[in-house]
Amino acid sequence: MKGRHQIYFIADFNVETLARLIANTALPGAETRTSPFGPVVGALAAGAPGPEWAAVVWARPEAIVESFARALAYDQADPQQALEETRAYAAAIATFARGARATFVPTWTLPPWHRGYGPLDFRPGVGIAHLLARMNVALADDLRDVSNVFVLDAARWLTTLGPRAWSDKLWYAAKSPFTAAAFEQAALDIAAAVAGLEGAARRILILDLDDVLWGGIVGESGWEGLKLGGHDHIGEAFVDFQRALKGLTRRGIQLAIVSKNDESTALEAIDRHPEMQLRREDFAGWRINWKDKAENVLELLANVALGAESAVFVDNSAVERGRVASAIPEVLVPDWPEDPAKYREALGSLHCFDVPTVTPEDRSRTAMYAAERGRKDQLSAAGSLTEWLESLDVSVTVEPLSDANLDRAAQLFNKTNQMNLTTRRLSSSELAQWARAGSRELLTFRVADRFGDSGLTGIVGLDYNGAQAQLVDFILSCRVLGRQVEETLLHVAVLRARGHGALELVADGQPTPRNAPCLEFFRRSGFHAVTDSRFVWNVADPYERPRWVTLRDQSDVAAGDR
Amino acid sequence: MRYEQALQLVYDAIDAVNPQLPQARRLAKSPATIIVGPSGSLDSLGIVNFLIALEERTGDALGTPVQLLDDTAFIDASGPFRSVDSLAHHLVTLPRV
Repeated sequence: MKGRHQIYFIADFNVETLARLIANTALPGAETRTSPFGPVVGALAAGAPGPEWAAVVWARPEAIVESFARALAYDQADPQQALEETRAYAAAIATFARGARATFVPTWTLPPWHRGYGPLDFRPGVGIAHLLARMNVALADDLRDVSNVFVLDAARWLTTLGPRAWSDKLWYAAKSPFTAAAFEQAALDIAAAVAGLEGAARRILILDLDDVLWGGIVGESGWEGLKLGGHDHIGEAFVDFQRALKGLTRRGIQLAIVSKNDESTALEAIDRHPEMQLRREDFAGWRINWKDKAENVLELLANVALGAESAVFVDNSAVERGRVASAIPEVLVPDWPEDPAKYREALGSLHCFDVPTVTPEDRSRTAMYAAERGRKDQLSAAGSLTEWLESLDVSVTVEPLSDANLDRAAQLFNKTNQMNLTTRRLSSSELAQWARAGSRELLTFRVADRFGDSGLTGIVGLDYNGAQAQLVDFILSCRVLGRQVEETLLHVAVLRARGHGALELVADGQPTPRNAPCLEFFRRSGFHAVTDSRFVWNVADPYERPRWVTLRDQSDVAAGDR
Repeated sequence: MRYEQALQLVYDAIDAVNPQLPQARRLAKSPATIIVGPSGSLDSLGIVNFLIALEERTGDALGTPVQLLDDTAFIDASGPFRSVDSLAHHLVTLPRV
């Protein structure tokens, strides 16, 4: 979905307000198109306008599930039949999704004035609300394995607004059951999901300390005097905010600190305060000093190898927020409430962290960054780079693309900028489709060393065309750069090309504003530079594997000189 | 309701409806802005969304539900909905609870 966004709407009500909000505010400039009024299932069968289009499929439950329409009229309805009809609808969506970039399906909802059977409305076999909940779960369950379909929780959009999410007057006047305010909530979530699919989700949250992670000024009161936990509503709010931040790290979002403080005093508080939920190992890095915060943010991002467009900056001082926002406009600097009791809500309301998958690598990313700090400490202590590399005990495991690693591979495709030869952006389904073609191969690389497992962090995509093998993808997470994993990927690529009878391996780089490090690596890789961005290797010559890297090949590669 | 308060309610409704419009066609918060009429930025759906947003805000201010949306809203370019100014004057005439 690079370039202009294209969003197609299928609904059995007037969804034009949502389309306008997306095109004019949530995803400015997006091209939107709406299916003709008519049965949604018919529109699904007609397909998306094209494979680059994302789609929003939003239907009223009573229009899709006849049994539910009967239940809604307080008529006798068979719940099992309702679930069968729901599954048929899910199957139609799954078929439609094959021809679309991504498909978003809001869950079914009832307006708050709909009391159904009152106290019986959540009783199985009787209640309308209960039946609708089961239908929503069945819909989500049946679409679980369709990687480019996302069932969105519409109830959250609507409960945010309460009764003002619905308007019968709008329904009668314009055949739209929801108000513009409700559609605004939907537009925000859909735009966030689209951004997530493009790898544009934010990846690091940079936090101030005083009156952000805890109440009070640690430099004045010492850690013993901070408001954090205890029998104090402000202290409890800070603890809950820290818990929410900790939860964020389990989704793969990094935390970092930029604070004007004395470093040793601040770290002592983090290490010693008994109510701290976040400890030193929960942070990917910190800059705690008296320097300009914008300068510190840039230094910190460089240290964790993330761009400013990956960062969110949270500070209770409007002055500091303004400074960072003006100095580094790519950093997202949300308004921040003064009341600590609202911190958790402010964090939870951010749309910028939405991603299409959560992988094991995401869940352990904080530990990976802590391991990286260990490596850097070791490097400082080592006598030479070679000595350091030898001490790491790096192992690289090659695996073919599979259902088990597809999501993580797609994530790397869409999030990696610097060490990315062509910066192709592909969804999971597009990636699987590409790799299925007979002459192509997509290899994934897991990297570990004595400091920890970095997980799936490398990708090589190869297209074999007789005497020439094309290195279509060469992607490596910044997390493992500098350990000569780069050379190991090339070693494997050359082996594979030779195994497929190729005489030369060609890498055609596509320069972008962000992938100069990748092209620079190829220039010093030993490959023959035909042009600034085209590199060739004669595969009759082995490409040596760094001797300190242990290679485990679990793909079906011909053994050769592994 | 004073005129200034009514004008602010109309401006709030403009804030609610503007995100639906392209930047170049967004309604200016000015008494002279046309709401209904050939030179207005809002089509029929836009007018409905605008008036419903204004109904909510005015109802909150008056403490009682108000009804602004009727059939004439779409066709009467000389009626009370023609501009921000005329609409604010119309709100002033609504009874408070």
